[in-house]
Amino acid sequence: MFLINCPYCGERDQSEFSAGGEAHIVRPKQPTELSDDQWAEFLFMRKNIKGVQFERWNHAHGCRKWFNMIRDTSNDKIQAVYKMGEKPPIK
Amino acid sequence: MSENLRITNNKFIDQTTTISFKFDGKTLYGFKGDTLASALLANNIHLVGRSFKYHRPRGIMTCGSEEPNAIVQVGNDASMTEPNARATEIELYEGLDASSQNCWPSVNFDIGAVNNFFSPIIPAAFYYKTFMWPASFWKKYEYFIRKSAGLGKSPTEPDKDIYDHRYLHCDVLVVGGGISGIIAAKTAANNGLNTVLIDDKNYLGGTTLFQQNECFKINNSYSNEWLKKEIETLNSIENLTIKTRTTLAAYHSYNYLLARENLTDHLSSSKKKNKIRQRLWKIRAKKVIIATGAMERPLIFNNNDRPGIILSTSIKKYIDYYGVKCGQKISLFTNNDSAYETAISLINSGVTVNSVIDIRDKTNSLIVKQAEKLGIKIHWKSTVVNTNGYKKINSIEIMKLSDDSSGVIGKKINEECDCLGISGGWTPRVHLFTQSGGKLKFKDKDNVFLPDKSELDQISIGSCNGDFELDEVIKNSFKLTNKFLNLNNNDYENLEIISSKEIDKKNIWLLPSDKPLGKTKPFLDFQNDSTAKDVKLALREGFKSIEHVKRYTTTGMGTDQGKLSNMNALGIIAETTGVKMGELGTTTFRPPYTPLTFGAIVGRNVGEFFDITRKTPMHDWHVENKAEFENVGQWKRAWYYPIKNENMHKAVQRESKAARDSAGILDASTLGKIDIQGSDASEFLNRVYTNTWSKLEIGKCRYGLMLNEDGMVYDDGVTARLGENHYLMTTTTGGAANVLSKLEDYLQTEWPELDVYLTSVTDHYATISICGPNSKKIVKKVIPDLDLTDNNFPHMSFKNSMIGKIRCRVMRISFTGEHSYEINIQSSYGKSVWEECFKAGKEFNITPYGTEAMHLLRAEKGFIIAGQDTDGTMTPVDLQMDWIISKKKYDFIGKRSLYRSDTIREDRKQLVGLLTEDPKEVLEEGSQIVAETNKQPVEMLGHVTSSYFSPNLNKSIALAVIKSGKKLKGKKMFVPMENKTINVIITDAIFLDKENKRLNA
Amino acid sequence: MPDWNSAIKKIDNDAASVNTKHHSELFISEVEPIIKLNLRGKSRDFLSMVGKILNIILPTEANTSTNNEYITALWFSPDEWLIFKNNVTNRDTEEIKIEENLFKNISQKKLGSVTNVSDQFVLINIQGKNVYELLSSGCPFNFNDFKNKKGAVTQTILNHTDVIIYNEEINKINLFVRRSFSEHLWSWINDCASRL
Repeated sequence: MFLINCPYCGERDQSEFSAGGEAHIVRPKQPTELSDDQWAEFLFMRKNIKGVQFERWNHAHGCRKWFNMIRDTSNDKIQAVYKMGEKPPIK
Repeated sequence: MSENLRITNNKFIDQTTTISFKFDGKTLYGFKGDTLASALLANNIHLVGRSFKYHRPRGIMTCGSEEPNAIVQVGNDASMTEPNARATEIELYEGLDASSQNCWPSVNFDIGAVNNFFSPIIPAAFYYKTFMWPASFWKKYEYFIRKSAGLGKSPTEPDKDIYDHRYLHCDVLVVGGGISGIIAAKTAANNGLNTVLIDDKNYLGGTTLFQQNECFKINNSYSNEWLKKEIETLNSIENLTIKTRTTLAAYHSYNYLLARENLTDHLSSSKKKNKIRQRLWKIRAKKVIIATGAMERPLIFNNNDRPGIILSTSIKKYIDYYGVKCGQKISLFTNNDSAYETAISLINSGVTVNSVIDIRDKTNSLIVKQAEKLGIKIHWKSTVVNTNGYKKINSIEIMKLSDDSSGVIGKKINEECDCLGISGGWTPRVHLFTQSGGKLKFKDKDNVFLPDKSELDQISIGSCNGDFELDEVIKNSFKLTNKFLNLNNNDYENLEIISSKEIDKKNIWLLPSDKPLGKTKPFLDFQNDSTAKDVKLALREGFKSIEHVKRYTTTGMGTDQGKLSNMNALGIIAETTGVKMGELGTTTFRPPYTPLTFGAIVGRNVGEFFDITRKTPMHDWHVENKAEFENVGQWKRAWYYPIKNENMHKAVQRESKAARDSAGILDASTLGKIDIQGSDASEFLNRVYTNTWSKLEIGKCRYGLMLNEDGMVYDDGVTARLGENHYLMTTTTGGAANVLSKLEDYLQTEWPELDVYLTSVTDHYATISICGPNSKKIVKKVIPDLDLTDNNFPHMSFKNSMIGKIRCRVMRISFTGEHSYEINIQSSYGKSVWEECFKAGKEFNITPYGTEAMHLLRAEKGFIIAGQDTDGTMTPVDLQMDWIISKKKYDFIGKRSLYRSDTIREDRKQLVGLLTEDPKEVLEEGSQIVAETNKQPVEMLGHVTSSYFSPNLNKSIALAVIKSGKKLKGKKMFVPMENKTINVIITDAIFLDKENKRLNA
Repeated sequence: MPDWNSAIKKIDNDAASVNTKHHSELFISEVEPIIKLNLRGKSRDFLSMVGKILNIILPTEANTSTNNEYITALWFSPDEWLIFKNNVTNRDTEEIKIEENLFKNISQKKLGSVTNVSDQFVLINIQGKNVYELLSSGCPFNFNDFKNKKGAVTQTILNHTDVIIYNEEINKINLFVRRSFSEHLWSWINDCASRL
């Protein structure tokens, strides 16, 4: 059970949050101009790697804000959290 | 009570308070402060169980949580009995009723013991090898094997005890209340840190608490006296919380730990009543200090499992703490100095020590010299090659070890004894450390695995960290704690410590015997009955991985999880295969450390608190009117309202007919409601729904379909435009929370430029839906001021009004196809207005209908229910709802996916209506649809999603999804059932009032 | 005129219209209905308009609250607040006046949103020595600092249910729970309190 530092509310138990999959996948601004393959790339393809991963999380039972998290999936260490729209603090 | 086995010991046991208890039906007596094990030993009862496989007699072997043998059944009540409790951990209380397990008919005469004589033919994995063939026979074998094996009985009735959970947050958690833990906890708490100290015993102090020996002194006091003073000071420390009888069960990442506190297990049944039995603490600690100490290891030699063979330091605890002699003539067998402490304690208490058998050549440590001074006979460089006595040990056979210690030499010495203490050295309790993901390292000198690297903010101190000498335990615990907590405390800096030091070390994993290995029984895992032979056999048969050997031989797989056996098993594997212990690694230690009751795991989440229930404002009315309820998510929704002896079918038929013939009333409060405000509200709706919203007039309502980005239908509902920048969206009951979360997601991440705010108002409004040809008259009576003429108040519009002084909003929308109104009013007035409507509708025979009739009514009209007729694979086109997809809009969620190669396939499953050839035959929801009856296997073309008998059409109707369904209208199909095949015809999905005349009737 | 009904079925038949329950170290009571409004907005103009109308500065620090003689404002997120009246007033007239005034000057002027949530939440007051013990039985939130901070606010989970906890005073909290969950939570709270 993680302890997650919500960028708005501070440190909270994981049970207050819900995970939203990989971060930094931007919804195409002009979907109609994409081929099936390009659209499928956006729609279905996710990395799911062992190691440092960029994820979206929602403080669902708190402030309801979405934010990004950098987490090492090999040891579950959260390396950073940052607000939507902000650049990742670590590469 | 056998008086001669008790010595006076007023320190820990209250010998003035006698407690009576039952073991195997016999009434016995012990004292307050005893464990079941110490009380049994005081009654000269060693034999407490039979071993798992061979049914060999087994006795109490330890004094703690690692006990493999003395596991008993506590209580005989069908709801409260508990199997696999460790006698060494059960505190004695008045009325305790315990019995042996795994023996039939009794522990003294056990039929399964015949297995012992057949043991040469029951080697490792015997059950796997023998009974798995032929496979079909396993069911028969299993029945008999389970009957004769089995560890204890499960309760057959629900647990009457109460359990609960509690969260705990602290700066420092110290696990283990021995000398190291006390030093650490005191240091932390005295320096302002919010500290919690837990121990699984009912006292603090660990083994040092009863260490009264000239060889171990602190500042000129015996170590126990010094420690006692330390413990006394703990109570006055403000930041320190002490929890005894609390076992740390699991250590997870992020320093999240679970501990089980026993609150009433030690109380007599009259005192337990109405109290919480066990509490599971969910602990979040900023820092964790593990001070769990070490366990003594058994020695592995021939017939090392007889009752009366006890770990040497446990014998010491029984005499020094409980005042119980484990025997009158005790022999001790060791490879280290610990047994000498036991020997000295025994002599001091007047027990005869026959001899100490030590595998080492000779050693001159302080404690050994003291033992020699007391005249204790020592067999140096010797081993026990055999033990005798069936139900209890009566003698041992001793031989000298050969020069290289690989065999035995010389004359066999027979020594009579009634108890044998064994000590194979110490195993640090690293379980919690490894549970938390820590990596171990092997220290060759002491043959121990020690904590190495950890990702968490934690340390291990004391003997669980490999310090076994008193002076090192104190100094290092204090030094490490200071460093870990960043403190400069010097409370323990200048102690004068006398501590006997172990000088010589020697270890032989499998001790030699004068007999060949095949003729001996050197037990490794006492509970699961695996021997050193079994492990060697597994290795011969090609098992290399330690995890595989464990599973093949079942070593370490008992309820004790191999606490005693693991190290010896690893040693034997390493030795046999020539691999270094450090490279071999260990098996994984998994939580819980000791078994948890199901009660502790579920806490108060039982009975009425098993799951959350949500109720509508009108709930009590439904209850009073005998509604049956249906769970929809967490909601309790009125399902149908049976009158007298009506069954569900009859009630639903009556309700559905009444709703179309005159008037029906439905509680629709559970629908999700989201208030939408902001200058971009219309644009936002354009993007989330498939249809267009910007042109919707204020005061009007519109039905919307929401897709996922993959083009599949996600949710639907009616949204009303309350103002220029103000909408009220309704969602399905089950989808409410997810829809809000999804919409917030888009607003916060994809479209932050939109000025839109969402607020859930689901619970704020009670929603009363009145439908049927008389609905207008009823609403008119309830809200006389409202102009209900069709011109002023047409279908798909709403009006704000007042009921008394209370504001309400009336929407003219319909999910049944009937003329209908939805009254929305603040929830607190919901029940009262509902009753008002009901009263007003009396003259029109207004009929309350539940969710089942609602489903039927909408099916007659071919309206879908998202989640019933859709399953995340249906596009609006598949649902034949092309009309709701805007062609003009540039984009909306899911639009691009509607013309992916997969979604434009013509043979996708599509929603159709289904009529049975026999109008009385009602299809089962979920049944399959096929085109042929005499082909095997036959292609499944689709399935029935909704099916009802329509009282308004007087025939059976169904909705179904079927491949290329659109093209198949009028085609005959088959629904094969278990005993028959039903003929069906594919039709349009709208069965009633295609022209929507009833909406304005 | 429709009758007002509590969301929590009354078990005791005392005269009060709301539920109350005494335990050894706790007193638990349902607070009589008061106006509650959800405010959302991001701009400086939004904040100053709210300030002007209500004579209150909305809290901008996370997990805090502000109040004046009449109204308390709880921080929910950087763009969301809950305001509620400190005392029961005339629901029918005063409530509507406050709401309409805010709605006209904020929502209709495109500064943010104003939503009446008076019946979205039931307000339960818990006071006594064991308040935080009770909360810790079903809530993963760390109350160690919170309990000493008058006016602290947190949105969290209690017995699997979303709640808002407002530390009105030390050992006295106001708990906001969605109305449909309130009866279940009320009974869980009392079950728990009976054994503390």
